Amino acid sequence: MSAPKHIRTPLARVLGRGAARSGTEHFWHQRLTAVANIPLTIAAVIILITLLGRNQAAVAQILGSPAVTIIMLLFIFSITIHMRIGMAVIIEDYVHDESSKLTLLMANTFFTFAVGLAAVYGILKLSFGL
Amino acid sequence: MVQFTLPKNSKVEQGKTWPHAPKAGAEREFRIYRWNPDDGRNPRIDTYYVDTKDCGPMVLDALIWLKTNVDATLTFRRSCREGICGSCAMNIDGTNTLACTKSMSEVNGAVRIYPLPHMAVVKDLVPDLTNFYAQHASIEPWLQTKSPTPRTEWKQSHDDRQKLDGLYECILCACCSTSCPSYWWNSDRYLGPAALLQAQRWLVDSRDEATGERLDNLEDPFRLYRCHTIMNCAKACPKHLNPAEAIADIKRALVERQV
Amino acid sequence: MAETAANGGNNGSAAPAINGRAYPIEDHAYDVIVIGAGGSGLRAVVGCSEAGLRTACITKVFPTRSHTVAAQGGIAAALGNMGEDDWRWHMYDTVKGSDWLGDQDAIEYMCRNAPEAVYELEHWGLPFSRREDGKIYQRPFGGMTTHYGKGTAQRTCAAADRTGHAMLHTMYGQALRHQTEFFIEYFAIDLMVDEDGRCRGVVAINLDDGSIHRFSAQMTIIATGGYGRAYASCTGAHTQTGDGNAMVLRAGLPLQDMEFVQFHPTGVYGAGVLITEGARGEGAYLVNSAGERFMERYAPSAKDLASRDVVSRAMTIEIREGRGVGPKKDHIFLHLDHLDPKILAERLPGITESARIFAGVDLTREPVPIVPTVHYNMGGIATNYHGEAVTKKDGNPDHVVPGLMALGEAACVSVHGANRLGSNSLIDLVVFGRAAAHRCAEILTPDDKQPELPKNSAERALSRLDKFRNASGSTPTAQLRAKMQQVMQNNCAVFRTGEVLHEGSKLIHDVHKGIDDVHVSDRSLIWNSDLIETLEFANLIEQAVVTMDSAVNRSESRGAHAREDFPDRDDQNWMKHTLSWLDAATGKVIIDYRPVHTYTLTNDVSYIEPKKRVY
Repeated sequence: MSAPKHIRTPLARVLGRGAARSGTEHFWHQRLTAVANIPLTIAAVIILITLLGRNQAAVAQILGSPAVTIIMLLFIFSITIHMRIGMAVIIEDYVHDESSKLTLLMANTFFTFAVGLAAVYGILKLSFGL
Repeated sequence: MVQFTLPKNSKVEQGKTWPHAPKAGAEREFRIYRWNPDDGRNPRIDTYYVDTKDCGPMVLDALIWLKTNVDATLTFRRSCREGICGSCAMNIDGTNTLACTKSMSEVNGAVRIYPLPHMAVVKDLVPDLTNFYAQHASIEPWLQTKSPTPRTEWKQSHDDRQKLDGLYECILCACCSTSCPSYWWNSDRYLGPAALLQAQRWLVDSRDEATGERLDNLEDPFRLYRCHTIMNCAKACPKHLNPAEAIADIKRALVERQV
Repeated sequence: MAETAANGGNNGSAAPAINGRAYPIEDHAYDVIVIGAGGSGLRAVVGCSEAGLRTACITKVFPTRSHTVAAQGGIAAALGNMGEDDWRWHMYDTVKGSDWLGDQDAIEYMCRNAPEAVYELEHWGLPFSRREDGKIYQRPFGGMTTHYGKGTAQRTCAAADRTGHAMLHTMYGQALRHQTEFFIEYFAIDLMVDEDGRCRGVVAINLDDGSIHRFSAQMTIIATGGYGRAYASCTGAHTQTGDGNAMVLRAGLPLQDMEFVQFHPTGVYGAGVLITEGARGEGAYLVNSAGERFMERYAPSAKDLASRDVVSRAMTIEIREGRGVGPKKDHIFLHLDHLDPKILAERLPGITESARIFAGVDLTREPVPIVPTVHYNMGGIATNYHGEAVTKKDGNPDHVVPGLMALGEAACVSVHGANRLGSNSLIDLVVFGRAAAHRCAEILTPDDKQPELPKNSAERALSRLDKFRNASGSTPTAQLRAKMQQVMQNNCAVFRTGEVLHEGSKLIHDVHKGIDDVHVSDRSLIWNSDLIETLEFANLIEQAVVTMDSAVNRSESRGAHAREDFPDRDDQNWMKHTLSWLDAATGKVIIDYRPVHTYTLTNDVSYIEPKKRVY
């Protein structure tokens, strides 16, 4: 038998580095955005349906109206935060190798910001006609 | 990455078929997981036949009947045989439960028995629960007070005592934790439903004065928040407790203390 | 979890050869070794740890799986939460319950210290049921009275009907708090005793890998429980095999009062699982096939709450005279259906569940079929009220065996005498577990140097192990065990006669001889439960032999020992404890006696004179 790599008591293994004293914010934000996503998603779907079959000018006009812009911005904001948290949880659940986990968590954040910012940019552009 | 398939030396093979019961009035087929670390072989499923006329109604009765009459090497834990000691937890017919309170009549067809899922196996149906016990110890399952101790009892109102119902009855059988996919993937960092149920038992004890520290020690993305309310724990618990609800209550307490 | 003790040394030879086979040994040294992690074992462990003694606990099952976990009804202590109460009344009830065979100094000690022991458990977090004002709830129990038998006492502190579970888990928590060292799933094989008769520790096998461990200690505390599994039908766990009692017998020491075996009136018919006496405490009652509440005839004032031996005998008579219920007229009904379902749900949830699972009965609607079932062994290792094991040596009936203590059901203090009262066992566990820890703190020095173990200290244990590990006779263990259980069930039951007992003695000695022909199938080292069950059977049969022969010997009726050929108590000749030694090789039982302590500990209470025992 080869010599064991680590000798630790079972309790030492469980206690590990102690509690991170975090996670509640994540949990709370996930619930918060989940609640926000319900009306925002309904509104976004309605908006998208009204856009169907219209030409670019009409679409730009509707999306450019202040109320719609704000709804769409809120929708993107809430949904991307929710997506990022959800994806991070899945990565933490299933990816156990520390370096791949960190890489994937980073990629998840980058991806979220990129997608979110691109969408925000698009809406703002339509709204302000930049 | 999480390992989704069994390593090669853990793949379960077809085992031995043992003789039919000698004077079987009514026979019942059992397919039981066997693994002996001494023989260097892969785990296998042995087929046994139990004479139900000669045997009590529970799955544990059948296991003892087999050990007595057919195969003395069949290995499993058992003690109280009345569902209070938590020794004989195993996976029967696809569900984690206590062999002593699971009636054979509740199972259709052959009775399939495996050790508790996703645990290291010591032998046959005996899992290694060392980590599970350490997790229970880690939540400090004892009353912690700072006020001067009274000469008689700490008073506790009838209503406050009722809050402990559904929590203190846990028998540490590990049916819940080992039914939880989140625990399967992360049992090294996630405390699991059993330990968290006990954490809540001490959190809501009106006599305890360490609620804050207890919550501090649970506030962790892994220790607590790996619970994704899958609810297998509540479904598996042979004592009809609801660890998922207890965990939700802990999460609520954590939100409430900061929001 | 197990670690080799740094100061374990390497006493004796490291790998003694037995029958040409070497058994490597791991050595450990502690101040105190507790064998068993039930209620009394854990209480002693916590107390010794608190006292700064280096303490370890060896247990064959994980602590919360010990059978204390199954105790239901409660723990007796004269707190007076439900009305006036006094520990002297508790003492009177216990003495009367014991049919005056209990040692009154020990009974005084227990009843006087009971409230403190209960408050201590409460301070550790035990979730007792509560009264409206926040105090601990107490329920009536059999034989518990006020004013020396005049009123009904509510003395039994309860956590619903799961008091033992709540207590064991609470004490396990305390043990964790004190960082007790546990050796879990280690099976103790035999004690080590030196030439001076001092107990020096114990040899155990680790089930996990079959390794042998030698624990030397200044004090070895046996808290291994009873041996209910010597009978075919008992309320106890499969693990209740009295391993400590048997180790003591093999160490050449006697067991005391082994003829007294308590039958609990309400074991579920067929399954044998327990329905707490607390059910009757909450108002349940027994009826026969005529629908009669027959206990009114046998115990006019206490009725269904008479002492357990009285109720079990009454039930047996009813069944025998053809008034049993069921197709075979071989059991009795217990009614709870008149009780408020809310009360059942709050105070008796556990048995409601048990009745549903094991009898298929809805308590709120139908009666439970029940029958007297073996429940408790009043006999065991004789001790004084400090928990120190005693024997009769050179005419001294209170000779303390150095280095050895015994607690709980394994011990015979004797507070229960010829019959234990319900809820007195849990209080026995904690009061004497605590007393033993106090005694250890008083007489031991932490980390004191221990003399070298004798060279052959582990030999007896190892040859015993080796014999069974390679046993290749023709009778499987289970077959021998079944035989023993049948003999005990048939020949040493609620009612006994000389004739039946003599037959039983012959039969049980035959089973004892059969062990030379035992066959063990499992040859592995890891978790060899076949081997462990064989060691357990060997332990059981020794106690069965001693029980049967002690019962043959006692020609009177007292408490749980009811001889039809000697129906009366005979204080003239039998106001004494039986001591029985066993010659393990031949199975011969040698009997002697110890006087009952007919004095109290202090002047706060005077000796309670024997009188006729009527409920």
